[in-house]
Amino acid sequence: MITVANLTKKIGDVQALDDLSFSAENGHITGLLGPNGAGKTTCLRTLFGLLKPDSGTATVDDIDVAIDPIGAKKQLGLFPDPFGLYERLTPREYISFFAELSGMSRKQAKEATANVIAQLKLEDISDRRCKGFSQGQRMKTALAQAIVHQPSNIILDEPTRGLDVMSTRLLRDILLQLKAQGHCVLFSSHVMQEVAALCDRVIVMANGKVVAIGSPDELCQQTGKDSLEDAFIELIGTDEGIAA
Amino acid sequence: MKMILAMVRKELIDAARDKRSVMAGLYYAIGTPLIMCGLFMVLIGQLSSPEDLNINIKNANNAPDLVRYLSNNGINHADDEQANKITLTISDDYAANMAIAKQAEVLLVADNSDEKIQKSIRRLEIQLQAYSAEMGSLRLIARGINPRITQPIKINVEDKATADSKGGMILGLAIFTMMYSVFISGMNLAIDTSAGERERNSLALLLSHPMSTRQLVLGKIIAVTCFALLGLILILLVSKVAYPFVPWQQIGFTVNISHDFMGLMLLIGIPVALMAATLQLYVSFMAKTFKEAQSYLTMVLFVPLALSMAASYNIAPDVLQWLPVSGQQQALMDFIKGREIPMMQLIVSSVATLIIAVALAAGLEKSLKSEKVVFGL
Repeated sequence: MITVANLTKKIGDVQALDDLSFSAENGHITGLLGPNGAGKTTCLRTLFGLLKPDSGTATVDDIDVAIDPIGAKKQLGLFPDPFGLYERLTPREYISFFAELSGMSRKQAKEATANVIAQLKLEDISDRRCKGFSQGQRMKTALAQAIVHQPSNIILDEPTRGLDVMSTRLLRDILLQLKAQGHCVLFSSHVMQEVAALCDRVIVMANGKVVAIGSPDELCQQTGKDSLEDAFIELIGTDEGIAA
Repeated sequence: MKMILAMVRKELIDAARDKRSVMAGLYYAIGTPLIMCGLFMVLIGQLSSPEDLNINIKNANNAPDLVRYLSNNGINHADDEQANKITLTISDDYAANMAIAKQAEVLLVADNSDEKIQKSIRRLEIQLQAYSAEMGSLRLIARGINPRITQPIKINVEDKATADSKGGMILGLAIFTMMYSVFISGMNLAIDTSAGERERNSLALLLSHPMSTRQLVLGKIIAVTCFALLGLILILLVSKVAYPFVPWQQIGFTVNISHDFMGLMLLIGIPVALMAATLQLYVSFMAKTFKEAQSYLTMVLFVPLALSMAASYNIAPDVLQWLPVSGQQQALMDFIKGREIPMMQLIVSSVATLIIAVALAAGLEKSLKSEKVVFGL
């Protein structure tokens, strides 16, 4: 469960977040949809306490990020963009390292790593160094890192960017599995199909503000359009910065 | 603590697989003592025995005694290009004049503006005068006169230079290279784990995990310090093997890399390594890319270099004894010379070193909490 309330943040002269409020429920996949520069990444960084909001609060499982950043981060898993792999480590070492940073003992981390490797079918690359991995292999490694410690909330920043169909499908399956297990999944994207196919709730963002919240169908109804893409353009009032 | 260990383990695995980091440390630690040994051998050769001086002596047959005298003092006849730069011509009537106690003439021809042979010319002149004085004395004695009456002043020269002070520069250089290994060995790792982490976009990911900035900073400092100390251990081991090959006895003292010295160097090296690690991390975290960090560090590392060099060349020794790096270096020099270690100075400089390290670590922790530094906003 992730809640942000009245977040504002100014970076330089840009109002990156402007009174932003929304929540993402457990057992739901929530999409943060917005054109480039809408403030999606800024919002996600605020959730991790990496950026401090000028006003407003962000809470993770009812823990205020500003008050107890470490406690809040324990409830979070991050699939970052870019992935931030260590080229000289193998996926097994990489995943296990971050599992330990998430608070697991070395033994637990190794077990959890073995499990997630099996879950994501990473066995063939798990003991090869990350250098030279394909985009799909990198995605899987990064995803494994995000879910290895079984966090109740998983945050993904532009997860489908640069992925082929097979990898996208795998990612989709994993996200649906996580949803079924009752995790709270929040991802940012500007790819309509992904959001339409996966999300229970979509938060449309533009210029640091929430423009509309609802399921893809509700958004279509609300705007009187047939596709989410048309609805989206109607909502943000411009077609700038949108990927088809 | 557990997380710091995990950090250190990851950094060390990562660094050990990074050829650039390992090579930088290894090249320095193994190469430098060997180069130093080579340098010392040449240096000692020049210091201890003046080389034989070859000159061109013409009409040598006219003055066999003089030629023998010169030869005993390392000045010989030769007929190559180098020797021809100084020619000594003995006049045809040398033997005749000598026999009747008249002034016998020799002609010294050389280019006095040629700096390379100035020293040799002076040497030859001194030897000729010495021979002349000896002959004069002999003649006076033959006439029943004490030759001392022609020498109203007797000059007694007492050379206060001891073997130690003569070797001071050499020792300083040797210890300086060891001290500096602490700075060189960890440098690439420090850059890789800070600016490199940012370049790989993994810094934000690390900070997104439930660990405090302090743990992150400590983990990185420990890892870089380990690498720096590893470099120091390596250079000590290589030095221990290599230095005995230098003919130290020719200049009257030895550089003995004893176990005591190695232990002391390691002990003193720990705070220095800590400071080197924090300094390098601090500087390279300010940089956005590997290359940027490299150019900053090259500038920053000039400071300990200057301190260390100043200590070995005895520039402003009183102040330097109390400063970080140079203080420890002087203590080590005193130890290897067999003198008493200036404890007070060593403690003050080591504590100063640690204070700098802690201050830099605190600064680092603070800066990693800043959005500006982490995201370069």
